[in-house]
Amino acid sequence: MSLVVGVDIGNSTTEACAAHIGQDGKITYLSGALGRTSGVKGTTENVPGVVEVVRLALARAGCDPAEVQAVLVNEATPVVSGLAMETISETIITESTMIGHNPGTPGGVGLGVGVTVAFPNLPRCAAGSAVICVVGAGVDFEDAAAGINAAIARGVRVTGVVVHADDANLIANRLGEPVPVVDEVTLVDKVPLGMPAAVEVAEQGRTIRTLSNAYGIATVFELDSEQTRMIAPVARALVGNRSAVVVRTPAGDITDRRIPAGTLILIGEKTKREVEMDAGAEEIMSTLRRVRPLVDAVGDPGTHVGGMLARVRDTMSELTAMPVDTVRVQDVLAVDTFVPQRITGGLAGEFALENAVALAAMVRTSKGPMELLAARLREALGTEVLIAGVEADMALLGALTTPGAGRPVAILDLGGGSTDAAVTTDGAEVHSVHLAGAGDLVTSLINSELGLENLELAEEIKKFPLAKAESFFHIRMEDGTVRFFDKPLPADAFSRVVVLTDSGIHPIPTRHGVEKIRQVRRSAKHRVFVVNALRALEQVAPDGNIRHIIGFVVVLGGSALDFEIPDMIAEAVAEFGIVSGTGNVRGSEGPRNAVATGLVAGYALARANGTAVRG
Amino acid sequence: MRHTPADDRPFDHVGQNRPAVVVLCHPDPGNRHCVREINAGMEEEGVPCRTENAADGSARELALAAAQASNLDVGVGVDSVGNICVHHAKLPPDAPAVAGPATSARTMGHNAARLVAGLPFKQQEGVRRA
Repeated sequence: MSLVVGVDIGNSTTEACAAHIGQDGKITYLSGALGRTSGVKGTTENVPGVVEVVRLALARAGCDPAEVQAVLVNEATPVVSGLAMETISETIITESTMIGHNPGTPGGVGLGVGVTVAFPNLPRCAAGSAVICVVGAGVDFEDAAAGINAAIARGVRVTGVVVHADDANLIANRLGEPVPVVDEVTLVDKVPLGMPAAVEVAEQGRTIRTLSNAYGIATVFELDSEQTRMIAPVARALVGNRSAVVVRTPAGDITDRRIPAGTLILIGEKTKREVEMDAGAEEIMSTLRRVRPLVDAVGDPGTHVGGMLARVRDTMSELTAMPVDTVRVQDVLAVDTFVPQRITGGLAGEFALENAVALAAMVRTSKGPMELLAARLREALGTEVLIAGVEADMALLGALTTPGAGRPVAILDLGGGSTDAAVTTDGAEVHSVHLAGAGDLVTSLINSELGLENLELAEEIKKFPLAKAESFFHIRMEDGTVRFFDKPLPADAFSRVVVLTDSGIHPIPTRHGVEKIRQVRRSAKHRVFVVNALRALEQVAPDGNIRHIIGFVVVLGGSALDFEIPDMIAEAVAEFGIVSGTGNVRGSEGPRNAVATGLVAGYALARANGTAVRG
Repeated sequence: MRHTPADDRPFDHVGQNRPAVVVLCHPDPGNRHCVREINAGMEEEGVPCRTENAADGSARELALAAAQASNLDVGVGVDSVGNICVHHAKLPPDAPAVAGPATSARTMGHNAARLVAGLPFKQQEGVRRA
């Protein structure tokens, strides 16, 4: 009987599996362990991480490190992945044509039309003229209301008010005649004066109806058909708001511009094609399908995507000491997304949802400095270290220890940087594929689509369920159930959407509701993992047809621990008549430890067959 | 249990039974502006309030007493130097919802109202978490 430890060096985690192997090849699994990978996978930086998990696994098994006959490591090849986002549309307001920011509490109700006048100039307005009063910063609400009331008393028709401070109701409540008041306009000083303008505030629970309708604006400003065509984008931009201001300036406009985002050049084995980034993800992915197998990809220098592809190449070249021009991008995944961006020229910090394309790329070498790593490990551990097999083969062997799984089997390894798949048919032949785009891309999509600018929080939203803090003592989970607390929740969580992490309840500082955040989270996972799962299975399947291969799909890897991704994948592959589920390696390890277990199983198999393992 | 029709219930529109956030304020003349701003914050949010003078006490003690007197369960306390505290009757006495200095009066008014309305609090520079 001999003691061996299988060690899987992954992109983010290093896993170990200790076992006794009998002379007949019978395996007795003793323990498993997991730790962070030190440095980039497949480099000598991994040594401390490996030493740590081996020690941990042996301690759990209650074995003396001196008894270890061999430590088995997989042939780990460095994988570098990169992410970039290219915004491809932009909204610009020229000449401050409109204000459409949805303040929490606008005042008054209705539509007012008149010429814009600064508050200090109100006493100089002629009786009978219709004006929109623009109240700048520092004017007290009582003074503003008194001034407007005085003007109305003189016969000036003040039909609407635009205010800098959060004072709309305070002013509206003090006016003799109620008029619509729009507040929290941060750049109120830039509202063009002496121009015809309209202010609209809808009743509570409703949205504006005149200024969000092109013909409504045309009626208000008496526009002809050509001018109405010009103003139509303004109406569109205001749809769904509770309040709005439209100023009619000579050249004022709001434009929705496509930003030239550059070209992506996909070089295949036989053909080479260019695709514009702003054509969108679908076009990019279908171009990729036409050039496959991909040999390399490059982007225009100066664009985010070009920069990212160059960065990925540089990083890999540094790690492996390969010349930069020999490093090739093996796969890209493009995903359509949207980014809330501050509108250029907006007066109240308005945001527009701009279209963007996110691109994940990955570079993989055929050979990492494995021999060197093995030698260093030998020194550090003081035992024999064997390079015992290719990752994909070992993962398949490990996956087959899942109760209920059988051949032919395919694995889907959902990691942080890449999605890997491998399939083995009844023969020994193994097909494997490594695709760009995994957990990190999901995090990045959640971060940008919710406008969080906080990757840590985005990661938490990805991993944990949401809830709404409904009082200081209870929260309503996203599935509608309620949870109570003995201690009051912190004030910054009050009435906010929170994410229930294992380190506590973290508020999400946005205006988005639970439903919206949930939808963004699920859609990001779908766009990355379901798309990649199907793409990966398609590529490992004989004839590229998923139906032809596989009886069983075992989902592995860190992202397989996610609370909804495995279900999404199971649902997506169900139509192909495949049994898909999260792996349970050795019946106890869940989707973890497959490669480490596979190393031990492979070693035992080789010993039983009397074949040598290369060392 | 017999149901009492709403019409039969004595409902005093200006007195103690009116649903309102209660502001208990030390009658220092320096607090006049502070109280005006607190009331303005609540008015902007559309939540009714009533202000009463109070004897000595810390902002937190006054806020708790105010919250217990309010039938919306929310109270604001202002002490003799203008410190403000917003409390909820169902919270532990030593753990008020929010607190801040006189300069944050408007924000404190907003937040007292939002505590009633169930909206996330407004942030202001210099507001410390209570």
